[in-house]
Amino acid sequence: DDGLPSSASPSRSGNNKRSSTPLPVAAIRVLLNVIRRSEAETMMGLQADLRDASDVMLEFAKRGGPVPSSSSSDASATATRYLLAGRSHIALSSGCELFLKHVTRASLETPDFQRCKSQVLERGERFAELSTRARDRIAVVGSPFVREGSVVLTHGRSKVVEALILRAALVEGKRFRVMVLEGRPDAGGAKSARTYANAGIPTTVVLDSAMGCVMESGCVDLAIVGAEGVVENGGVVNKVGTFALGVMAKELGVPLYVAAESYKFTRLYPLNNADLPEMGGIECGGGLKFLDTLAWSASSASDRKEEEGDLMTTDATNSQSSLNPYVVDLPPSVSIENPPCDFTPAKYITLLFTDLGVLTPSAVSDELIRLYQ
Amino acid sequence: TVELFLKAAAAKKRKFQVIVCEGAPHFGGHAMARSLAEAGIDTTVIHDAATFAIMARVNKVLLPAHAVLANGGLIAPSGSNMVALAAKQNSVPVVTVAGMFKLCPMYPHEGQDTLNDLISPSSVVDYGLMGDPVLSEVEFVNPVHDYVPPQLIDLYVTNIGGFQPSYIYRLLAEYYHNDDWEAFE
Repeated sequence: DDGLPSSASPSRSGNNKRSSTPLPVAAIRVLLNVIRRSEAETMMGLQADLRDASDVMLEFAKRGGPVPSSSSSDASATATRYLLAGRSHIALSSGCELFLKHVTRASLETPDFQRCKSQVLERGERFAELSTRARDRIAVVGSPFVREGSVVLTHGRSKVVEALILRAALVEGKRFRVMVLEGRPDAGGAKSARTYANAGIPTTVVLDSAMGCVMESGCVDLAIVGAEGVVENGGVVNKVGTFALGVMAKELGVPLYVAAESYKFTRLYPLNNADLPEMGGIECGGGLKFLDTLAWSASSASDRKEEEGDLMTTDATNSQSSLNPYVVDLPPSVSIENPPCDFTPAKYITLLFTDLGVLTPSAVSDELIRLYQ
Repeated sequence: TVELFLKAAAAKKRKFQVIVCEGAPHFGGHAMARSLAEAGIDTTVIHDAATFAIMARVNKVLLPAHAVLANGGLIAPSGSNMVALAAKQNSVPVVTVAGMFKLCPMYPHEGQDTLNDLISPSSVVDYGLMGDPVLSEVEFVNPVHDYVPPQLIDLYVTNIGGFQPSYIYRLLAEYYHNDDWEAFE
């Protein structure tokens, strides 16, 4: 049992290096390691080990950092917390559960445990392989929906959506424009905008609050978002702002597409946003800074006129201290709420792009039953 | 199919009235109305522009299908989208009669251009007038089909039963294997 946290922590440090592996896939690799190292002699023992490992990882994700008793340094602890901040742990728990169900399905046939274990490992590796390739499969089924000359709106930073859009632009060679919502508070959208611009796609970044006015009559042809989790009724849990985007899109006649891997399908049935489970990561409201960027850029523009010499380096070194006067300090009596994710009901979603194919929201529950059987 | 459907209902001695849109520029509605009248059905012909005005007096709308798409959308004769929109506005149920062979594992990527053709405008405007310097600058568009989105359709009546548009994906899974989908991309 002591071996479990240690097999979990190397993967954690791997995540700190900002690899392109999604969190649930990394978790699945950890579980594969657990199987390899397990000393259980029965299927039940192995299942118990895997369940313990998933619980440790889930606890880690919920608390947004390592267990206080472990001896990781302060810097890596804060780094991990920021990494998990704004991420719901839904994908993590559903990924682990699907993996568990998938590998233990083989257990009933073979009487010899060692052969059983190697079978389980093989199935597990295939599952991990499929999960890694899910992103490419989604790009293949989803990119035909991006048409020549269209304007695509995205929200938040999803590697799946990026893969889809890059495929439409680079592999299928279509010409279209992307409009990106900046994505407060983690600037996710702005980071995606960098990726799109580097690929040569004309990109526009707008404030999150501008989503309504940019979607008006024909200015936007479609909206695509990723998902943290897909729930039983076909709704999605995604970065906060997706719900608003869904309602806006429905009202203004813009189709909303969700790109999500099948391991994100979870047996949750929220009726509204209040039904969502507690989100992990940064404690809600703790990390939010309110910056008057208009005043800051106005003042630094006038500073630039006065200063001589290398303006780029002085801007970089002074940026931290020069920001402080523009941060709005709030008295402690003001409470701040910062939900990292929200729930978008199925009626606002047009289609879901998954590695199982293109699904209508009503088809999700069928697929869920098939996956979890 | 719609004609046979209505004639079968008339054979069961049901009392109903049919309003047929004339379906310009081919005026297929005229032949349909004649055929229905011969079967003893109370038929009225209206021109396509009067659809919205008449919709308040209609209990059900029957649409034919050229193809049924994977998202539950419908490819129907030109003008059907307008009829369906008018029906939605007046809360009139829209029923489509389609054989299962019309089911298609395609999604409407091109919107209104999905499985559509623009045919000769000769039925809209006389070729003789093309000599006119002003008229020859005008573009005459004559699409054959309309794409009707799934939220405007209430029921699909098929040879195996009645289904909601949200169930179409299930029928597709039963009739087409995943590998067949690539042939349609």
